[in-house]
Amino acid sequence: MSTSKLKPRTSSRISQSENSSFISLSMDTLPHPIDDATVEIETGITQSAISEDESLSKSKSNYIPPWTEPYIIGIAGNSGSGKTSISQQIVQNINQPWTVLLSFDNFYKSLNPSESARAFNNDFDFDCPDSLDFDLLVSVVEDLKRGQKVNIPVYSFTSHNRTNKINTIYGANVIIIEGLYALYDPRLLAMMDLKIYVDTDLDVCLARRLTRDILYRGRDLKGAIKQWENFVKPNAVKFLNPTLHNADLIIPRGLDNTIAINLMIKHIKNQLLSKSRNHLINLKQLGNSIKNFKIENYSNVKILPVTNQTRVINSILFDKKTNRDDFIFYFNRISRLLIEFASQNFFTNVFNKRIDCVRCNSHSGVELKQVSIAVNIIRSGDCFNTSLKKTFPDIIIGKLLIQSDSRTGEPQLHFESLPKNLGTNDTVMLFDSQFISGAGAIMAIQVLIDHNIKEENIIIITYLSTEISIRRILHVFPNVKIVIGKLSSMEKPNDKLWYNEEEILDTSWPFRNRFIDSLYFGTD
Amino acid sequence: MASSHEISNNVILLPQTNQLIGLYSIIRDLSTKRGDFVFYSDRIIRLLVEEGLNQLPVEPSIIKCHGDHEYKGAKFLGKICGVSIVRAGESMEMGLRDCCRSVRIGKILIQRDEETALPKLFYEKLPEDISERFVFLLDPMLATGGSAMMAVEVLLSRGVKMERIFFLNLLAAPEGIKAFQEKYPKVKIITGGIDEKLDENKFIIPGLGDFGDRYYGI
Repeated sequence: MSTSKLKPRTSSRISQSENSSFISLSMDTLPHPIDDATVEIETGITQSAISEDESLSKSKSNYIPPWTEPYIIGIAGNSGSGKTSISQQIVQNINQPWTVLLSFDNFYKSLNPSESARAFNNDFDFDCPDSLDFDLLVSVVEDLKRGQKVNIPVYSFTSHNRTNKINTIYGANVIIIEGLYALYDPRLLAMMDLKIYVDTDLDVCLARRLTRDILYRGRDLKGAIKQWENFVKPNAVKFLNPTLHNADLIIPRGLDNTIAINLMIKHIKNQLLSKSRNHLINLKQLGNSIKNFKIENYSNVKILPVTNQTRVINSILFDKKTNRDDFIFYFNRISRLLIEFASQNFFTNVFNKRIDCVRCNSHSGVELKQVSIAVNIIRSGDCFNTSLKKTFPDIIIGKLLIQSDSRTGEPQLHFESLPKNLGTNDTVMLFDSQFISGAGAIMAIQVLIDHNIKEENIIIITYLSTEISIRRILHVFPNVKIVIGKLSSMEKPNDKLWYNEEEILDTSWPFRNRFIDSLYFGTD
Repeated sequence: MASSHEISNNVILLPQTNQLIGLYSIIRDLSTKRGDFVFYSDRIIRLLVEEGLNQLPVEPSIIKCHGDHEYKGAKFLGKICGVSIVRAGESMEMGLRDCCRSVRIGKILIQRDEETALPKLFYEKLPEDISERFVFLLDPMLATGGSAMMAVEVLLSRGVKMERIFFLNLLAAPEGIKAFQEKYPKVKIITGGIDEKLDENKFIIPGLGDFGDRYYGI
C-alpha cells in the first residue's frame, strides 16, 4: 500500500494531506490487534446506561460526521509574505486526512477580452478584492460543510482565465483558506475557527515577489515592478493591511518566525484533538438509548440462519489452528452464503415477464432488477470480492478507506472511489467483514448518503458484528438494510437467542479484534 | 425469514424468493445464451449443494480462538461423496467441489434401452468405502425418476444406507417426487423448484428443456 496510490487527488493548488498514519496503524495487527476505537468506545458503555433511557425509539439521532464541522483556518498576508509556505507547513504538521487547501489563486474571476488584453500588458489589477469571486468561494466552503461534492475551478495564470479543468472534492476535516484576502469577506470570517495574518515587511515581500515572478513565472523586471507599484502596494495599503484587525493571530516575519509557527501548529493540533474527542463522545452515546433491543423488531436487519454448516464454518474461522488455505476457503463459502442471503431478502424488486420455454410458451416469470453497485470498505470489505464476482460478475465496485486514528481512535475517511452520477434510484451493497464499534460503518453510510444514495437503498453486509455497533447504526440510520453473518450480544442474554446460542459477547476475542482481513490477505 | 423447509416428508425446497424465481426465469427462457444458462444454473446448483450440506450432522466442539478465548463451536461428522448420473449430473460436480474441495465423486451411466424403453445401467464407478459415506446423488431434473431410482438401487446394493442418500436436483415434477417417496421414503430430495406436471411424453412442464444439451451445448 503506497501513500501516493491512496492519495485521493492532488493538484498544485489543492492538496489533500498525505497521511502516513494508515500505514503504521496497529489496529489490525494480529498479535494484539485491538481496535483502538473499540476499546475506548466499549468501555464507555455500562449496563445501566442501556436500560435507563427511553424506550425503543426509531427516532433518528443526530450523528455529526466530522466533515460537516470542519476546522477552518484562514491565512492572509501580503503577496510574498510566505502564506503558501506556512499553509503547507500546517498541512504537513497536522497530518490529518481530508485536509483541503483552498487557494484564492483558483478563485479569480474570468476576464472579458478587453480585461484580458490589459492583463497580458501587466495593466490589470489582480490585487484588488474585486478581481476575486468571493461568492463562489463562500458557496464551496458551505457545500463542503454540508458534506456535498464541490467543484473547484482551476485558474491559469498564463491564459488569465479559468481552464476547463475542475477539481472535485468531497468531505473536509480541515479546510485551509489561503490568499491575499482570506480575512476580507465577513461571510468567510464567520465560518473560520482560526484566522491568521502573516505580517511580513513589504520590502521583503517585494524582494521575494520579484524573484518568484522573474525566475518562475517568466515575467520581466520592468513588468513586475510596474505591477508592484501600480497595483500590489496600493491595494495592500488600501484593502489588505486593514484585514489584519480581523486576525486572531498575527505572525510577524512570516516563515522565519519558527516559534510563532510552532505555537500555532500546537494550538491547531489541540483544537483538532478536542474536535475528534467530541466526535467520539458523540459516537459513544449512540445506540445506548434503545431499551429492550430485539433484532426481531427490525425487519431491515437479517441474520444468516444458523445451520450445521454455518456452525462449523464459524468454528473453523475462529479457530487459531486453522491454516490460511482453509481460512480463505471457508470465508469464501460464508461470504457467498451472505451475498445470496442478502439477495434473497433484499433484492426483491422484480418485473413480471412472460418467457418462452422449450415446451411452454408465455410462462409467467420475473426479471430481476439487478443491483449494479458494490462498495467495499478497504480492506476488510475486499474479503468479499471473490464471492461477489462469482455472484454478480459485472458489478461495479467502489472503495472507501476508513481507518481509526491511532492516537484518538476516531474513524477517519482517507479515500473514496465511487461511481460518478450516483442517483437516488441506485441500490448499493456495502461490504465490511466486521463491525466492531460501528463507527466505520456509520461513516461509510454517511458517505453514500452524501452521494445521493437513499438510506433505504443501502444494504450493508458484514460477517461478524457486535450488538453495540448494530444499535449505533440503527440509531443513526434506522432504515438502512443490514445483513449479518453472526451477531454477538452486549450482555448475557436472558432468553435464548436463536442467532447466538453460544451466548458469545461483544467483548469476546473474535468480535473485538479485526482479524478476518489479516488472515484473509495474510498481512497484519 | 427465507430459509428452506421440508414441504413434505423428506422433500426440501429452496425458499421461493423473487431472487430465486428470477434465476429460474433466466434458465427457463429459450432465448438465454449458453454462457448465462451455465452461469445461472451454477448459482442455483451452489444453493442446492449448500442446502444439502446443511442436512449433514455435526458434533459439538470447543474451539480455541486467538487470545485464549474459547468458542462453543462444532465440527463436521462423517464423510461424504458425490455420485453424478452421466451426463447432465456431471454439471453439478463443480458446485459440490466448490464447497468440498477433495470430495470423491462416483459416476453412474444409465440410458434408455432401445428395445424395452426402460432405463438400463451401462456403467458405474463408485468409491470403495461408499457404504460408510453420506451420498449426494446429482441429477438436475427429476421427471419420472426412472434413472435416479435405478441409481439409488445401485447405491443400496453397495451398502449405502437409504437415509444417507441426498438427491439434489434443480427441477422436479410432482409425479417423480411421489414415485420416489413411495419407493425410497428415507431418501432426502433437495430441489430448487417443483413444476406443474409431466406431459404425455414424460417431459417436465414448463421445465427448461434438456438440461444436459443446454449446459454442454451438444
